Amino acid sequence: MVTKPKGALGAFALAMLCSAAFGADASAQDGPVRLGILTPKQGASASIGQSMARGAELAIELHGGKVLGRDIKTVWLDEASPQVAQQNMQKMADDYSVAGVVGGNSSSATLAMMPVAEREKIPFISAGSAASEVTGASCNRYTFRTQAPVPVQVSAVFDRLKDQKLYFMTPSYAFGQDVLRTARSMLDGVGASEAGNDEVPVNTADYSSYILKIRQASPDAVFGALVGLDLSNFLKQWRELGMQGEIPVYEVAVSDTDFWDIGPDASTGIHVKPWYYNDPANPDVEKKFVEAYEEEHGQPPSDKAWSGWFAMTAMLDSIEAAGSTDPKEVVKQIESWTYDAGEFPYYFRKWDHQLIRPSVIVQVKDEITDKWDYMNVIGTSTSGKEDTLKAFGTQEEIGCKMGEL
Amino acid sequence: MEIILSQAANGVVLGVIYILISVGLSITFGMLGIINFAHGAFFALGAYFSYELASRFGWSAAIAAPLLAAAIGMLVEVVLIRRLYGKEPLLSLVVTFALALLIEAVIRSVWGTGGRPLSPPAIFNGIVEIGPILMTTYRFAVLVITVAVLLALWAFLALTPYGRVIRAGSRDPEMVDMLGINLPRVFTAVFGLGCGIAAIAGVLAGPLWTVSPSMAANAIMPAFVIVAIGGLGSFSGAVIAGLFVGITTALTVQFWPEASSAAMYVLMLLILLVRPRGLLGTQWERFE
Repeated sequence: MVTKPKGALGAFALAMLCSAAFGADASAQDGPVRLGILTPKQGASASIGQSMARGAELAIELHGGKVLGRDIKTVWLDEASPQVAQQNMQKMADDYSVAGVVGGNSSSATLAMMPVAEREKIPFISAGSAASEVTGASCNRYTFRTQAPVPVQVSAVFDRLKDQKLYFMTPSYAFGQDVLRTARSMLDGVGASEAGNDEVPVNTADYSSYILKIRQASPDAVFGALVGLDLSNFLKQWRELGMQGEIPVYEVAVSDTDFWDIGPDASTGIHVKPWYYNDPANPDVEKKFVEAYEEEHGQPPSDKAWSGWFAMTAMLDSIEAAGSTDPKEVVKQIESWTYDAGEFPYYFRKWDHQLIRPSVIVQVKDEITDKWDYMNVIGTSTSGKEDTLKAFGTQEEIGCKMGEL
Repeated sequence: MEIILSQAANGVVLGVIYILISVGLSITFGMLGIINFAHGAFFALGAYFSYELASRFGWSAAIAAPLLAAAIGMLVEVVLIRRLYGKEPLLSLVVTFALALLIEAVIRSVWGTGGRPLSPPAIFNGIVEIGPILMTTYRFAVLVITVAVLLALWAFLALTPYGRVIRAGSRDPEMVDMLGINLPRVFTAVFGLGCGIAAIAGVLAGPLWTVSPSMAANAIMPAFVIVAIGGLGSFSGAVIAGLFVGITTALTVQFWPEASSAAMYVLMLLILLVRPRGLLGTQWERFE
């Protein structure tokens, strides 16, 4: 039996370890740049998560598949719940050493991911969350957000609800609670009143009992913030129970997939969303994005696909401008990044990292003849730079205390 | 008072859908001793098959959806499940959990991550109002169809020779085998029956809920709760428990909506504290 001397084995192992360590360092400089995508892959928002991931991937393709002259490798992990999202954010740092993360659809998951982004120094652009805390009390230097916060979205449609008796339908987590609180605070301003409210658990399959309550309360309108399949289920059963056309439905932070999932018959209402693919006001660069998306996926992009594309574009531009993947430099570049194709240059506000950009107000068409084109854009939350900036609130109102890099 | 009556009636409809989902699970456990975590996946398969058949050939073709799901169930029994008989319950739980993930992944790859629009047949459009009770025609039809399916199932198990063989096989498989009955074939049929009933529930729920991959996960937890409340393997226990869960959920929505998804778990906790075997659970020597 031949045995190797233990000393020689130890030296060999040490040599291998050193070689692996130096090799890894070299590959970190020359190998691909890893970018994380963290969106829901399952549950009520799976459709939204897929759209967002597709949009982010397309942004990379349109950028030439490279950043800083290096190939880009994406890592797509699941945002199934706040706990899973937080663990996967940690994985992004520990296992994949990503240069940045795009994702964060739900506010509760985003709020769970943000401390990890700050601790591990990962530039993170949330492309879906809307709760005020994300860029308010819980803000941090490494987190940015593209979607308009709840107060901006709620105020976008509230002037259409003057003197109305409203029934609130909101999901029972951070975002929904924010919508309910904000809407209640705006009731007096438009002379509206509350006919009732329900805070609905996420992943509710059957809304018939809630709809019976609404029917009994006889409101003038339903104002809600249901998300993903929750909204799909609600609208489907709303129609089934003969309520469609009887009481108008207003929702904030909706996504196109919420309607595509149930078809034109059940789709109804006036809603606030970040973007619509068939908005005549879309700039050329977004029209090109729509064409590329349609070519690749055989359908137009939803607003969440746009959000993923927008956030990833900002990330890539900022890494290029930083000249490295050094997170501090990347954060500084995102802070000074502007999107010049819009009505005015859109930007992430330096003191809270909120994207300053109006949302669109859409109305489901009376007659839907196209497989995908369900909406008419009937307005925007604000117009012009000054009005938009004012709608997003002052530093005192927002309450963000940004930390150091 | 009117709204409470209306909610209770609505809870009954919700309950009968839950019963249909859980009764197949109960039969599979009661007859085969298998905790089928993939049961919800067969519920989803029923909904997807009905979507595919209804959109291609019209609603009448959707009747084939449960048969397709049952056939897949039988294939799964032959290939996978029969290797689990007599083994630790934990093993069947793990294997069928993996099967559930596999079926959901197949659904995602075939039909995509998003939902699929499926509306009730046009003949069931409209609303039925009986006093204070408001119900859609389709929900009323679901109620009638479910009661008919449950009665037919009960009659099959209690009154036919095949049903007697199944029941005897579940209690004393060795004796049934000695009588010359091909027990493996019977077990294959029982597993297929359980999957087929889950798929009937999927067909009926498809026009009510959004047809999406996550509907499997949404169905399996109420099904397990109902089976636990009713008593493992008890057909009539599942029926009573399903109604309890449906009505409790609907009434909780009325009075405390935030707690509506937790209500059935609290109900289960209370019932199991008082009666650990569930409402109609009996002592079975093979599971002791």
